[in-house]
Amino acid sequence: MGNTIIQFENVSKSYDDGTVVLKNINFELEKGKFYTLLGPSGCGKTTILRIIAGFTAPSSGNVYFNGKKINNVPAHQRQVNTVFQDYALFPHLNVFENVAFGLRIKKMKEKEIQERVREALKFVNLEGFENREISEMSGGQRQRVAIARAIVNNPEVILLDEPLSALDLKLRYEMQYELRELQQRLGKTFVFVTHDQEEALAMSDEIFVINDGQIQQSGSPVDIYDEPINRFVADFIGESNIVEGIMLEDYKVQFAGKVFDCVDKGMKPNEKVDVVIRPEDLEITSVDKGKLVVTVDTQLFRGVHYELSTYDKDGNEWLVHSLKKAEVGEEIGLYFEPEAIHVMRLNETEEEFDKRLESYGVSENA
Amino acid sequence: MKKLSMPAKIYLIIVFVILYAPIFYLIYYSFNSGGSMHDFESFTLEHYRAVFEDSRLLVILINTVIIALLSGLISTIIGTLGAIGIFSIKRRNIRNILLSLNNILIVSPDVVIGASFLILFTMIGVKLGFASVLISHIAFSIPIVVLMVLPKLLEMNPNLIDAAQDLGATRRDVLYRVIIPYIKPGIFAGFFMALTYSLDDFAVTFFVTGNGFSTLSVEIYSIARVGISLTINALSGIIFVVTVLIVIGYYFVTRRTKFANGGIGRL
Repeated sequence: MGNTIIQFENVSKSYDDGTVVLKNINFELEKGKFYTLLGPSGCGKTTILRIIAGFTAPSSGNVYFNGKKINNVPAHQRQVNTVFQDYALFPHLNVFENVAFGLRIKKMKEKEIQERVREALKFVNLEGFENREISEMSGGQRQRVAIARAIVNNPEVILLDEPLSALDLKLRYEMQYELRELQQRLGKTFVFVTHDQEEALAMSDEIFVINDGQIQQSGSPVDIYDEPINRFVADFIGESNIVEGIMLEDYKVQFAGKVFDCVDKGMKPNEKVDVVIRPEDLEITSVDKGKLVVTVDTQLFRGVHYELSTYDKDGNEWLVHSLKKAEVGEEIGLYFEPEAIHVMRLNETEEEFDKRLESYGVSENA
Repeated sequence: MKKLSMPAKIYLIIVFVILYAPIFYLIYYSFNSGGSMHDFESFTLEHYRAVFEDSRLLVILINTVIIALLSGLISTIIGTLGAIGIFSIKRRNIRNILLSLNNILIVSPDVVIGASFLILFTMIGVKLGFASVLISHIAFSIPIVVLMVLPKLLEMNPNLIDAAQDLGATRRDVLYRVIIPYIKPGIFAGFFMALTYSLDDFAVTFFVTGNGFSTLSVEIYSIARVGISLTINALSGIIFVVTVLIVIGYYFVTRRTKFANGGIGRL
C-alpha cells in the first residue's frame, strides 16, 4: 500500500527483568489519519509510541517508516515529533525559543525561523505570546506550545502521549475539538495515546484497543462501540451490560433465563457466548410489556439522563440510561430491539471476528 | 512561618553575638592607632595602608585569588562533567558507590587530605609551590561541585532529554542546549562554593605549600605566630568584607535563577 506511513511487523518488547510489555504487535498506519491507541495504564500503548519515536527499541520484529526499516534509526533522525504528557517544555527557554528549538538544531536561517515559529504559534492560537516564559503559561497554553513545537518541524507523523490528561474537564473537551481540527487542517498523521475512551471515540479515524500488550481490536469508533470483540473491549469502551448467554441457533440467543431474537449468526449450536446490551438501548416500560423484568436498585441523575442500576431475578445487573425517571425499589420492564443485542464469541481472534461480521452483510447496526 | 517567641529571639541574638563578636572585635581594633588590641586610642587607616604597602603581602593576596579562581574554574568543569557522568549511570548501586566515594572526600579531615597530598607530591616529584597548591585545591573542590550540581540533574524532567532528541538534537546538542542550561544554577553554586573553600583553606595549603609560595590564610598564621600586629586585623577585615560580598553575590545569582535549595553548610 502506497499510503502506509508506519508499519509494525511482529513487534515485541520485553525488559531485562522479564516483563513482557508488547506481544507480537502488527499494524499499518496510513498517511493523514487520526489514530488512537486506547487502553488502561500499563497496557503497552506508551511503549508503542516510544518505539515509533525511537526512544525505545523493539526486542524483536520490525518497524517501517515510509517502507524503510527504521529499527536502528536514532530518535533525532526520525521525521516524527512528540507531544509529551507533561509537555516537556524547556524551562530555560521562552515560548519562541521552545518552538524554535528544532529549527535551530537544523541550523535554519534566522529569518525563516522567525517566520515558521510565528506561523506555528498562529496555528495554535498563541500569537503574541512569543516572549512569555514557560512558567507564565497556563496548562492549556503550555499544551499548545508543545503542539506548536512539534508541528513547526513539519514532521510526517505527530505522536501525542496523553496530552489532555493534565487539563481540567472543560479544557479537555475544547482541546478535543481543536486537536481534531488541527489534524484535519495539517493533514498529518496523528497517533494519539489515551486511556480515556471518550477522547478516543470523539477524535479518531481509527482506534486500536490495547490490553496486556496486545491489540484487542481495531476499527472506527462506531465499529468498536457497536461491535466490541470481547468482554474487555465492551467493558472498556463506554458503559455496557455484559451477561453470559447461549447461542441456541442462528438469530436465537438465550440469556437471563429467556430466549431472544437477535441478528447474530455463524456460531456453533448451543455455543457459550457473552451478550452485550448498551445502557442507552434499554428502554423503561411496564412490567407486562418488558422483555426483561427488573427491580430498580439505585438511580443517579447524570444531567442528560438518569442512570439506573437494576437487577433481574437471577441477580444480573442491568445499567439503564433513561430520560424517564423510575422509583427506587419499583419493579419495571425493560424493552430493547433485537439489533441492540450484540453477541461475542469467547476467545475469538480479530480476523475471525471480522470475517464473521462480513458474512452478515450490513445487517448488524445497533 | 510561625513567629518566634521572645526566648527564642533572645537565644538567637545571643548565638549570633557570640559567633560574630570576635570578628567585629578584630575589625574594631584594626582601626586603632595604639598598636594593640586593648585601649582604643584613635581612629586610623594606617594598618590598612600597611597592608597595601606591603608588596609581599599583596603578592600573596594575588596568589590566593588566582588559586581560588583557577581551582574554582577547573574544579567546576571537572565536577560538572563528573556529576553528569554519575547521573548517566543507570545501575543504581554503582551510582551510589560513586556518590559515597565523592562524599567521603568532603567529610574527611583536611589534615588527612593535606598530609596525603604532601606524600603524593614528594613521591612523584612535584615541586611544592603554586602547582601543588592549585592541584590540591582543585582536588578538594571537585566533590563539592559534584554535590552542588547533581541535585539539579536529578530534579530535571528526563522527558526533556527525550524531547530534545525528538526535535533532532544529537547527544552533543542535548548536553549544550538542554542539560547545561538547566543545571546552570547548580554550576554557579558549585563554583562559588569552590571559590570560598579555596580562599579560606588553611590545613591542606599548609601541608603542600613550599618555600616562596604562600596564601593568605597560611601567611596570617605565620604572622600571628611571630607576634601581634594590627596588619593582620586589617587584612582579616578585608577578607571578611570580601567574603560577605561573595555571599551576597551568590545570593543574587541563585535568586535570579530561582535556585531555592540554598547551599550546603561547611562539613
